[in-house]
Amino acid sequence: MEIIHRFFAIENKRWVFGSVIFAIILLAPVIILIINFFSGTTDTLLYLLDNLLFDYTLNTLYLILITSITALFLGIIPAWIISNYTFLGRNFFDIVLYLPLAIPSYIMGFTYIDILSYTGPIQSFFRERSPFFAEIINRDYLQVEILGILLGLALYPYIYTASRISFSLIGSNYINISRNLGLSKIQTFFKVILPLSRPAIFSGLFLVIMEVLNEYGAVKYFGVNTFTIGIFRSWNSFGDVNGAIQLACILLLVVLCFFAIDRFSMSKSKFYYQKNTQLNKVKGLGGSRALMVILICSIPFLFGFLIPFSFILNNTIESFAITNFDKLFRLTNNTIYVSSLSSIIIIFIALFFLFVERISNSKINSYVSSLISLGYALPGAIIGLGVILLFSNSSLLGTFYVLIFAYLIRFLAVAKSPIKSSIDKHPITIDDTGRNLGLNPLNLLRRLHLPINKFALISAFVVTFIDVMKELPITLILSPFNFDTLATQTYQFAIEEMIPLSAIYSLVIITLGSLMLLILRSFIDKQINVS
Amino acid sequence: MYLEVKNLVKFFDSKYPIIKDLSFSVKKGELISFLGESGSGKTTFLKCISGLEKINSGTITLNSKYLNKNNIFVKPQERKIGFVFQDYPLFPHLNLEENITFNLEKKYYSKLEYILKLTGLKYFLKRFPHELSGGEQQRACIARALIREPELLLLDEPFSNLDSTIKESMKEEIFKIVKETNTTTILVTHDINDAMNISDKILIFKAGILQQYDNPVKMYCEPANCYCAEILGDMNKLFIGNETYYVRPENIKHVNKKSNYKVSVEKCFFQGKEYRIKGRFDNEIWHFFSKKPISEKKHVYVDFAKKDLIYFDPVCKNFFK
Repeated sequence: MEIIHRFFAIENKRWVFGSVIFAIILLAPVIILIINFFSGTTDTLLYLLDNLLFDYTLNTLYLILITSITALFLGIIPAWIISNYTFLGRNFFDIVLYLPLAIPSYIMGFTYIDILSYTGPIQSFFRERSPFFAEIINRDYLQVEILGILLGLALYPYIYTASRISFSLIGSNYINISRNLGLSKIQTFFKVILPLSRPAIFSGLFLVIMEVLNEYGAVKYFGVNTFTIGIFRSWNSFGDVNGAIQLACILLLVVLCFFAIDRFSMSKSKFYYQKNTQLNKVKGLGGSRALMVILICSIPFLFGFLIPFSFILNNTIESFAITNFDKLFRLTNNTIYVSSLSSIIIIFIALFFLFVERISNSKINSYVSSLISLGYALPGAIIGLGVILLFSNSSLLGTFYVLIFAYLIRFLAVAKSPIKSSIDKHPITIDDTGRNLGLNPLNLLRRLHLPINKFALISAFVVTFIDVMKELPITLILSPFNFDTLATQTYQFAIEEMIPLSAIYSLVIITLGSLMLLILRSFIDKQINVS
Repeated sequence: MYLEVKNLVKFFDSKYPIIKDLSFSVKKGELISFLGESGSGKTTFLKCISGLEKINSGTITLNSKYLNKNNIFVKPQERKIGFVFQDYPLFPHLNLEENITFNLEKKYYSKLEYILKLTGLKYFLKRFPHELSGGEQQRACIARALIREPELLLLDEPFSNLDSTIKESMKEEIFKIVKETNTTTILVTHDINDAMNISDKILIFKAGILQQYDNPVKMYCEPANCYCAEILGDMNKLFIGNETYYVRPENIKHVNKKSNYKVSVEKCFFQGKEYRIKGRFDNEIWHFFSKKPISEKKHVYVDFAKKDLIYFDPVCKNFFK
């Protein structure tokens, strides 16, 4: 009786029903994967358990550990400095510290290995000037530890962004009270600020971990056997789809564990501290201390962006004469086309889900919303495999529709995030007023939510565009025949040891990404000014 | 009756109904105040009337049309009800004029000038919501609701975000506007002064039930129960024989001769034109007013007319505790 009553009490049932059906379609690849896991033979699973699983697990966790530590150091410290002190170049650093997000981690890996290689600029320089030192640094840099640091350099902006927002929002009252209670500045940071910012830092770290689990190009290049590599290897090299499915499901389990840990830690550390009451005054720094903070802020920018970018630029100039510009334009066109089209579709579907969640009084939609957000935590290899299984008997496989469908599953959560925070900013009475003034749900969406969330939609488009442009595993697995993007071409050249030739493709990705990030930044500023 | 609410029940969880059983009616052009504590379900009630929340049972009739009855449910966009929300939700991407004329039928455009003049917003037409003061935003919301000639106007705590100086003038303005347009209005508030000043009738709501529905004077002088009495002002308790009586502070007079009521003064608060005295009589805290200050710990005599005594059933006092 209660269930029937609750069903009839659901408002806007058609919208709710539509969103549930849509969510089931989006989750279908994962559901198919799980069904296949249970219907497959156990031989491969036993083989995996006996021989490879331990190795894959250990490598994956070790890589996550090193990347996380690097990203935490490079993200938190500059975020704290920039949130609390003024110094020469503060505004500059506040912009450029986001830029490594424009460099795909596989390009970061390829570039640094080229820089550190025997023929690279560092070893060549020391061979001429100090042969003894050159001998010491002549090492094999294709190590999991180096990969972890490089991934940390590429991914720290996730933690920087989260910490920067959190540190800026914590009012000075907390700092003043803790100082008044006898804590030093450092103790205040560790005992008050860091615990208060833990949810934000954790959410940034969660994204870093998910990116490491999703990483394919760099780990393949470094020869580190992670789960994602295992899936590709089982599938492509051994033709063992069953093994790939079973590995994908185990990886899915690992991802769900991390997801559960993230949710659990968030629920345990939801601090409802008063924000924005009295922001901490940014204090000026001069002399040697200013020099030190400039140095600290320079390190992530220098190693995370400037050095790889300069090296790629240099390689581009050197290989300019042999660049196939027709191909470059074609691939740039392909990339912009597929990224734009996917991002537009993704942001409108994200808006649809969030809108239904908003107008529905049912909890179903908040569950639906959480479930479809899980897609971002799923590595591209899992999604790719699931989508292939789903469409295996369909002529759609190998078309743009399927590629965009896979992007949709993976990046829906990315697009949802800025739109959700914008929608949440508007009180529910805005919707009530709209309905009271005669708008039906469709008009409410068209005439109110589209215009009032336009900046958020643009922000969502930009972040989704960057992510789709950088995405490698899904594009590699599901691209239509003879359809390459800048990302797949960069990867192909790198894997064939033709790094200089890949430079111009990398450069275009980074330039497009950086431009998009700068646009995003100006939109965020505009949003802040409007609100 | 113009608005008729019968046996309205609303709950989100059937074990804890927000509105248990509410029935009342309003005449055309009346301004009634719906008075209740924060969280008592006042806004939910307004949302039920406007169709933004579905009711669980009961009927709502407006201008002889059923809005809710059994299977009849008129959608919120089809009810001719104006709703002014507590937080003045003007659409941030539209200027004042666009906000007021949002989704407005053409036949009402001719009223724009009149409404702008009435609400004093003539010179702010091109301003965006963030360029308006709180009072201007609120008047804009009222203008947006009134221009559509609503059959019923719902005002949800319209004064709660205003400072005391602007609040008084806003109260007068709203009263003037709704009376001039003869708009039937329900004002939801938790502030007794707001309700007393401008309402034709007051409805007191507590624990999901209507406690009393009457004009302000009758409500104040003849409260239906202790809750209604206390919500409308302080009460001084006294025992006569075995019965408990109450008397309003303003009905107590400070007298120079001996009386039956000797109060020991504990505090004297200056309130501008007079002093509010807090004292103790028969172990009960009493309040009354005096033209002159009275020193603390001093004993004074007070008195009142017998007709000002209010009596309630003995169980009443503990009912809501």
